[in-house]
Amino acid sequence: MSALTGLLATPLLWLAATLGVFEIFERLSQRSGRHPLCHPVLWTTPVLIALLWATGTSYADYQADTFLLSFLLGPAVVGLAVPIWAQRERIARLAVPIVLSLAAGAVTSIVSAVGILSLFGAPADILASIAPRATTTPVSMAIAQQLGGVPALAACIVLFAGIVGAMTATPLLNAMKFDDYRPRGFALGVSAHGFGAARAFQVSETAGAFASLGMALNAVMTAALLSLLAIFL
Amino acid sequence: MLAAIFLLLACQLIGEALHRITGLALPGSVIGMVLLLGWLALVRRERPTLGAVSGWLTAHLSIMFVPAAVGLMQEGPALARYGLGLALATGVSTLLTIAVTALVFRWALRRFTPEEVGKRPVQPAERGA
Repeated sequence: MSALTGLLATPLLWLAATLGVFEIFERLSQRSGRHPLCHPVLWTTPVLIALLWATGTSYADYQADTFLLSFLLGPAVVGLAVPIWAQRERIARLAVPIVLSLAAGAVTSIVSAVGILSLFGAPADILASIAPRATTTPVSMAIAQQLGGVPALAACIVLFAGIVGAMTATPLLNAMKFDDYRPRGFALGVSAHGFGAARAFQVSETAGAFASLGMALNAVMTAALLSLLAIFL
Repeated sequence: MLAAIFLLLACQLIGEALHRITGLALPGSVIGMVLLLGWLALVRRERPTLGAVSGWLTAHLSIMFVPAAVGLMQEGPALARYGLGLALATGVSTLLTIAVTALVFRWALRRFTPEEVGKRPVQPAERGA
């Protein structure tokens, strides 16, 4: 057995465990037709936490071993520029509605989330974790860290927001009598990031394209708004 | 392939540097994304490998935030105490944001770009996560 203990000093075990567990839930998610409640992160996370607990592994060790995965978030966020660039003509044509509704949505999201949570007497670090709740996870974690929040909590909040948005947008927007897929998709992307975009693609290609756009633009808008706020506070 | 990876890393590197030098609260990766947009606008050409690399990264975004989500194991007390508030604030904020964004979009579309009303252009779409 002692021949194997040296292995634990390498990232191999937890990196492999993370990929393996994720792949299982990824397949289940595919089989469910990408139901929001079957999102692989939602199930991979508790299973890994249980494994870490069962083996007495500290989070710091796990975090160090899976650094390779979290590092990729940075270049992935940079790469979001590519789909935005691909849609520049559409953005230019609808610049006014896009900019106005983006600003309104970003402000609504931050003010309502932080406002409601502050009624529960939550301290500043918890409020900072919910402020970027509408942005795509890597951006929300980066913003939460910037503002003195908890990245893990921000990631969990964003997941929950995505599930709520993906499950309620269609009945909500139908009740509000929206028949144009552009505002429908865009609103879904602004409020529920990638989950919203995935849901929008199930409904229509146009809604999906506008949802991707909303997600990408709101990542920048919310980051910019909260940065400004951080400077003045 | 390497050129595309280099471009992404270089944008992030400069973004992180700007973030540190200016003290801007904008995350370095988000600044890097804006820089890449600027670069794409400046140097116009077809970039199939950049599309492939960034598309691959976007397609696998989910697993990249598993390590951070597992950090939740340290947040038990905060979740126990503010779980209800967090769920309520997140849920209400999500619905409200969808409604406000869609309403303002529809209003602005009719008010400022009436020629676009009723048009629903379809283009090959890009997915994100």
